[in-house]
Amino acid sequence: MAQRLVIPIGPQHPALKEPLGFRFRVEGERVLETHIRMGYVHRGIERALQERSYIQDLYLVERICGICSHIHTTAFCQGVEELLGVEVPPRALYVRTIVCELERIHSHLLWLGVIGRDAGFETLFMYTWRDRETALDILEEISGNRVNYAVNTFGGVRIDLTSTQIESILGRLDYLEEQAHYYLKLVTSEATFVVRTHGVGYLSREDGRALCVVGPTIRASGVDRDVRRDDPYAAYEDLPFQVITTTEGDALARTVVRVKEVIESVRMIRHALHNLPEGEARVRVRRRIPPGEVISRVEAPRGELIYYIKSDGTERPARVKIRAPTMANMVAMPHMLKGAHIADIPVVVAAIDLCIACADR
Amino acid sequence: MLEGLVRWARRKSPWILHFNAGGCNGCDIELLDALTPRFDVERLGILEKATPRHADVLVCAGPVTRQARDRLLRIYEQVPEPKWVVAIGSCACSGGVFRGCYNVLGGIDQVIPVDMYVPGCPCKPEAIIDGLVKLLEGI
Amino acid sequence: MPARTLLKKLKEALGEHIGEAWVPRPHRAFFTVKREELHDVVEALVKRFDIRHLSAISGVHTGEEIELLYHFWDYDVCFTVKIKLPRHEPCIKTLTDIVPGALLYEREVHDLLGVEFEGHPDLSPLVLPDGWEEGHPLLKDWSPPEEG
Repeated sequence: MAQRLVIPIGPQHPALKEPLGFRFRVEGERVLETHIRMGYVHRGIERALQERSYIQDLYLVERICGICSHIHTTAFCQGVEELLGVEVPPRALYVRTIVCELERIHSHLLWLGVIGRDAGFETLFMYTWRDRETALDILEEISGNRVNYAVNTFGGVRIDLTSTQIESILGRLDYLEEQAHYYLKLVTSEATFVVRTHGVGYLSREDGRALCVVGPTIRASGVDRDVRRDDPYAAYEDLPFQVITTTEGDALARTVVRVKEVIESVRMIRHALHNLPEGEARVRVRRRIPPGEVISRVEAPRGELIYYIKSDGTERPARVKIRAPTMANMVAMPHMLKGAHIADIPVVVAAIDLCIACADR
Repeated sequence: MLEGLVRWARRKSPWILHFNAGGCNGCDIELLDALTPRFDVERLGILEKATPRHADVLVCAGPVTRQARDRLLRIYEQVPEPKWVVAIGSCACSGGVFRGCYNVLGGIDQVIPVDMYVPGCPCKPEAIIDGLVKLLEGI
Repeated sequence: MPARTLLKKLKEALGEHIGEAWVPRPHRAFFTVKREELHDVVEALVKRFDIRHLSAISGVHTGEEIELLYHFWDYDVCFTVKIKLPRHEPCIKTLTDIVPGALLYEREVHDLLGVEFEGHPDLSPLVLPDGWEEGHPLLKDWSPPEEG
């Protein structure tokens, strides 16, 4: 008769870079039940957003998460621009989209390295993070910083792309696409990696829908859902792209979906750069935001990110509610870990692509 | 003479433990970047360890939240002497943009003594390496 | 389908439960429902229309009331169901029996605004630290605890 134990892991642990507390009830080598303690990274941002002005909030919102900083400011700016009733110039929308897709590329490569590391494939971690530096170089060249680029502002973007920059970006995109194809071949044919991820962390289509899971996690379980296509924002209505789905629903399927999304993002950026509209990069907006309420939704690298912004006509927001994609996917984690081997826990946890900083705020 | 040898060994192989006390992850990713091929701190003898018991230097990022405070203290106590603490990023130095938020106590030095502050939002891997090298020169 | 068409279909099926309804722009629809009828309305959404995706639950304290907004995603429309709760009696039936994805959202609203969700399996603190006794931070009349 195997023994029943409770194993606590965290908040400091080698699997994740963020503090998250787990308590696993196990029997022998199998996990029966998981209890998760969040809240180590809760900084009280929603309250702070109500106490600062809109423009101060823009910089606070960027620092909710250090990996998907631009998408948070995109969602916030879109909401405020809708309240103001201002139309953002097309060139600014294209630049916003280009930075969004660059962020998606660097986030997915980061994740690929993390899951490689958690599966024991340290070399994959080194290779993907080396290639991720190329994406960060592009971002640093156009905005001045590798993370927290401060590209967005109310009414448009703060940077513009010169033709020399465009040439240099296009060259580096070819390298990223080539590497992404190599990683796709690697994750599907490298036997040890496949054994560690195939069948691990399975989530069926019905369970995924019932638990309201979002992002590549649900797209790997056969649910065709993507905010960029269903609720287009920025320049996505003009950009042709495919929503990548597959049906296997395990960690390997999620890996394949994300690598294919990197390839798709490269194509989208190329199309956007070749068709960049002329014009100004921002319009002036008034400082007072009129009263109203809006819902702003975007597709972050991890899934649907939704902002609810309510304004009462003063210079501070009445309420900003942020629901990050990891909060939506967290509820599926105990479900995916049920019956898993203890040794598979890092792979299952990493396959959802957690960003606790976003979820806790 | 043995003292000199031990000091030389410590300076040539500082093993680090990383802890995120409540930050946005930006500085943590930049720290991990320092381990990857472009910056490669392993050539300086720096290795990232999984447990506090193996570490010489505790590298902390992020402002300290109320929930993380006790864990940070416990980890600090678990790192064996002699130990050093490096606070990376503006939030770890002073609370950064989150100063004044209800669940944030401030920088890392509100909870444990800090030996080296590396500012930046996020601090670049070059800055982290510079901070670590300056810390090691003082050993 | 366009937001107006979806709203029309929902009104035809659930007519007497839907209060005010409006479409501020493409892909968005809002309608109000009474607190006691929310569970039945959501059950109809799930069972008759197969609308299962709850994106988020936003809570806003507006003086004498706490407004709860349930944001649902159906293909290309994000529609929101608005409920008003009295400030000093903020309780409502849980949705976790029909929408399992609401589990963490309801816990968070409980933490930050003090709303009681009757029938929720586990309303322990989600984001607030252990031993937090200082109230619910997103209420307008809340002030941070004294340092020291």
